[in-house]
Amino acid sequence: MVAGLYCDYLAHEEQSATNMLGTILKQLFERGGIPESLRQAFRKEKSGFGGRALQLLGLVKILKMTIRSLPEVFICIDGLDECLPKNRRELLESLQDIVRASAITRVFLSGRPHIRDEVKSHFARGFMVFITPTIKDIERYLEMRLDKDATPHAMDDSLRIEIMSVIPRKISQMYLETAPSAK
Amino acid sequence: MERITNMQSFGSGSVDCGHVTNSFNKTITLNNNTITVSKTEDEDNQIKQWLSPLEPRHRHQSVQTNRVKGVGDWLFERREFREWSGSQGVSKPRVLFCYGDPGVGKTHIRSVIKVTREGGHD
Repeated sequence: MVAGLYCDYLAHEEQSATNMLGTILKQLFERGGIPESLRQAFRKEKSGFGGRALQLLGLVKILKMTIRSLPEVFICIDGLDECLPKNRRELLESLQDIVRASAITRVFLSGRPHIRDEVKSHFARGFMVFITPTIKDIERYLEMRLDKDATPHAMDDSLRIEIMSVIPRKISQMYLETAPSAK
Repeated sequence: MERITNMQSFGSGSVDCGHVTNSFNKTITLNNNTITVSKTEDEDNQIKQWLSPLEPRHRHQSVQTNRVKGVGDWLFERREFREWSGSQGVSKPRVLFCYGDPGVGKTHIRSVIKVTREGGHD
């Protein structure tokens, strides 16, 4: 099972750690249906004081329980830098808890370089990979864009060759210059 | 369908009072069933809403369609990625953090993980 979400700085209010992990949980039971234990938990809360919102700790508990019934789980969270620091800390702590409890869970995270140390502090043994486009990547992307050109008659072979030889080199130099020094 | 059959039995049935009552009860039961079904669906939706109001599906689809085939594939050959994706067990590192500037293709990686693990079904 692969479950995931994208953090979005436009959705700060909604993207609490609880809501984000709730989305993950929803995806995990998409195929098997809602587990009975979750249904019971919901009914119990609902019958209480007008339906209490789900608390983070309770949710993490249900998540761990749900994961136990699955053969393999990947949790992917993109754009981690886009969520509020408080939400991010709660999210990382909860993921830490889940990974510790379940040997079949793997977590994929992505974000801008400035949160690297923060992630590292939660997952000291995690893999940290710096992503930068290769010349080949830029060439592939350019090829695609040139093929989709809206005014193809303005392009001849020599112009295409020139674009393909100059731009990828320029762009990859640009990335090299801005890359953080390897730690 | 079942209810239509019932209605037909109403029309063509005899004037026997017992039979009519019987059909009537049946219809009620059927209606009750319909209500029960929609109640469960309703509860499912309530539970989903309770878990989270967020719906992340749409963006995944648009990312997947905008993806240029082959871009970023070098990552999947890297030692870190292979170790991470093949490792299960408490002692193995099970977290992979990819960091980089906006627009370098970090978001595409997840789409690829999803496609390779689940055969492209979403």
